[in-house]
Amino acid sequence: MQKDLSHYKEILVKGIWRENPVAYQVLGICSALAVTVKMSTALVMSIALTLVAGFSGLIISSLRHLIPSNIRIIVELTVIASLVIVTDQILQAYLYDISKQLSIFVGLIITNCIILGRAEAFALANNPADSFVDGIANGLGYSMILMAVAFFRELLGSGQFFGISVIPQFVYDMGFQDMGIMVLAPGAFFIIGLLVWLKNSLPGGISHEKK
Amino acid sequence: MSDKKQSNRSFKNSRVYVVFFALAVALVFSVLITSAATMLKPLHQQNRILDKKTNLLKAANLLPENKKLTPEKIQTIFDTRIREVYADPRGQILQQATGDSLQLYLIHTKQQVQGYIIPITTRGLWGKIHGYLAFESDGETVAGFSVYSHSETPGLGGEIESQWFQDNFKGKKILNAHNQLVSVNIAKGKSENLPENLQDHYVDGISGATLTGRYLSEGLEETLTQYEPVSIIFRQKKGSPTQLESLLDE
Repeated sequence: MQKDLSHYKEILVKGIWRENPVAYQVLGICSALAVTVKMSTALVMSIALTLVAGFSGLIISSLRHLIPSNIRIIVELTVIASLVIVTDQILQAYLYDISKQLSIFVGLIITNCIILGRAEAFALANNPADSFVDGIANGLGYSMILMAVAFFRELLGSGQFFGISVIPQFVYDMGFQDMGIMVLAPGAFFIIGLLVWLKNSLPGGISHEKK
Repeated sequence: MSDKKQSNRSFKNSRVYVVFFALAVALVFSVLITSAATMLKPLHQQNRILDKKTNLLKAANLLPENKKLTPEKIQTIFDTRIREVYADPRGQILQQATGDSLQLYLIHTKQQVQGYIIPITTRGLWGKIHGYLAFESDGETVAGFSVYSHSETPGLGGEIESQWFQDNFKGKKILNAHNQLVSVNIAKGKSENLPENLQDHYVDGISGATLTGRYLSEGLEETLTQYEPVSIIFRQKKGSPTQLESLLDE
């Protein structure tokens, strides 16, 4: 049991930090650009993606001995797409306002390379429990970057934190202006680039020089 | 052992197995999706109808700001303050729809008509934009604007949903100094940079969403031209309070 726990911890650390899907594997950039204008949308997107990544890992891994290898990508996509559509339906039913703001991006989880990447690289070769943890770990790693990007973009671009204005009026009176570029895609590019650089220069990552 | 593995592998890739497996997967997941969609459908519809009503009330400025109301409360305000009516091509208000009538909503207190709301449907950059434009009872001053469905880019064209953009419309005029219909247009940038005589007919644009603004301007103009007869009826009554019943009787 003890061994099990440290084993799962290992998978978690790897997914969240060491091989972070956005910062290390550089996957899922497209949605990281798109939904990070506001923190609330980024949060819901993060939760949705984490759940889809976890459960698609679980299902695909359970089926791994049955899936014919020559149609495996199609089967993986069927599983992922079905989960995403169900997630979208649930969001529309219970979180209608946020689902409206996320609009097409929930549907685009299907094409998020993190999920297919984990299905191919991990779920097909490991047992269901490990694959579930791996999916959640990668989802959390993605969420972490997403929330960080959204934090800076919302703060600098609209002066807000989860929709609440946090930059006091006197700063604006002194001539500060919201940075329009942060609301646009280039702003996200800059921030993601800086975060990737920061993450890979911190200890605990895999250094490219050592190889 | 390796023989067995080999044969297992070739069986897994045999045509019969692949087709059977694909069909089974497709069946299981279509059942999953269908049941989710069917079970949640009533909730979806409820949300959509409520959202439309909320936006109608928002356009009419009947919702308190920064406060979320319960669905029941919204329904009550809707029932007491909004009346769905139709207008024939000459602008006469009808209770029932006829072949070529236009749909609109009256904002009213118990007796008096305070304004009217026109449903807006226009092309956007990625898909249709649906919303409401509310007018004061003078038939030329915009009271409010709201959007309940669109597929614009979040953060860019999607800003048409945001409060600052919609507040923009309040108090704008659709008639120029010569009483000609000029509609409300979305400016490129701030409307205060425009010549003074245009400022009343332009709202601040959204940076990064020039096309959304252009399509919305076109759509508004088109819809307002269509509804002009209704607006004329209201303009003729200018100044005199309109009784709800008398408007419906005519």
